Amino acid sequence: MLRLSMEKKRNKTVTKQVYFQGAFKMLRPHYFDNTGQACFFLINPGGGYVDGDRYRMEITLEEEAELILTTQSATKVYKTPHTPVVQENIIHLKKDSILEYIPDALIAYREAKYKQNTVIQMERGATLFYSDILTPGWSPDGEWFQYDLLQLKNEIYLDGQLILFDHLKLQPLEDGVDGIGYLEGYTHLGSMIIISEQVTSDVVQRLYDEVEKDFSDCKVGLSLMNEGGFTVRILAHSTQKIEELLASCSAFLRKEWYDRAPVALRKY
Amino acid sequence: MDNYLLSLFQLCDSNLPTGAFSHSFGLETYIQENKVHDKDSFSQWLRMYLSGQLIYTDGLACRLVYEALERNDMDAIWTLDRKITMQALPRETREGTHKMGERMLTIGYDLYPSPTLSLYKEKIKNEEAFGHPAIVFTAIAHQLQVPQNVIVSTYLYSSISSLTQNAVRGIPLGQTAGQYILRDIQQWITKAVETIETMDVDDFGAVAPGLEISQMKHERVHIRIFMS
Repeated sequence: MLRLSMEKKRNKTVTKQVYFQGAFKMLRPHYFDNTGQACFFLINPGGGYVDGDRYRMEITLEEEAELILTTQSATKVYKTPHTPVVQENIIHLKKDSILEYIPDALIAYREAKYKQNTVIQMERGATLFYSDILTPGWSPDGEWFQYDLLQLKNEIYLDGQLILFDHLKLQPLEDGVDGIGYLEGYTHLGSMIIISEQVTSDVVQRLYDEVEKDFSDCKVGLSLMNEGGFTVRILAHSTQKIEELLASCSAFLRKEWYDRAPVALRKY
Repeated sequence: MDNYLLSLFQLCDSNLPTGAFSHSFGLETYIQENKVHDKDSFSQWLRMYLSGQLIYTDGLACRLVYEALERNDMDAIWTLDRKITMQALPRETREGTHKMGERMLTIGYDLYPSPTLSLYKEKIKNEEAFGHPAIVFTAIAHQLQVPQNVIVSTYLYSSISSLTQNAVRGIPLGQTAGQYILRDIQQWITKAVETIETMDVDDFGAVAPGLEISQMKHERVHIRIFMS
């Protein structure tokens, strides 16, 4: 269980309330530059996620608060023979707040079952950069582990109205790893959701033109949402490839909208 | 003979002007990349489209709308209309389905008027709903007293049949090959109906990621005969 709310005080985003218990922990906020945008590193449970674990994260950004939320390392889901690991995320973004959620990859090992439900409530004027990377674990003999189930749902509401429902359900053993339409021979899946009043078809087209040169050895789709946003979906062979593409998208938009430098998460 | 049988034929007929002939739902991207190029590769694609996307979206929607109509829970239908629309992340697929939904509602209301369709039209006019063919089809068929499993299977067949005709034009395939495909897919449709019967509501809207990306990529396919 983790609860965090942030507010803006004199040009700087500061912690209003933070509470955690159990396996989740977090460090003090970092400030990378003089924009006042705070950055928190979540620390995942050391032993990884196992059978029947349930986690809940609640994040609230008050008006005009700006937060980068990331993890200190990859989230690992181990063998879960009985009950899937369940992660619930509840996010509230008030007017003119900005959340950049950039977690490390989720690594699912053999027989892992993982479900994640994310509900994001946004007020008009708020901005969201949300990403996810899903990967299979790597066994000592150099084979990709086969997980049982990764099921991730995102529901995003703008002023109480559903504007995005994203439901990924990966069962590579059942659907086939190489099969057309599913993973198509790729192993890693990345997603990004951008919601902002500043999203236009022109911005998305220019972003596409900018990042298209890096589309070798992966399969990428970008598409506008019904209102005020767009999504990116990537199939690739490595976490690094997806991280690079998502970082390029983020860097382009940070420059375009805020004239800010790319996020530099010096973790390693 | 059941009274509804001929009406059901009419609703499933590809001559019903819904615009289904101009949508490939990502198939054209695969054709252009030469991943779908003959009868076998198309059959494989079609089975994936059915079991990786259609059952979780339109197929399950047919069942849920039927159940909502049985208990007269109209709000559940409007919630589903929004959810199935926002679930389609690829713009062309979302807009194409939306257009087909509106056209099916217009012709459906003229041919088989009902209070449900009238309300649906009103909601769309007031921008409180979007319009989706699975919802319109189920509303009409429910009014005609078609049983739920028949609604689901005929809706799936009608979608699959339109796509097969599009594949015959787009790949291209021979007309006879198309008919073989339509015969062979029937056992899979029957299985899909059984799966939908026992599906958890929680399964709604799951996507096959490769297909979804191809549907997104279609926006940037330059020479095209389909709108999605």
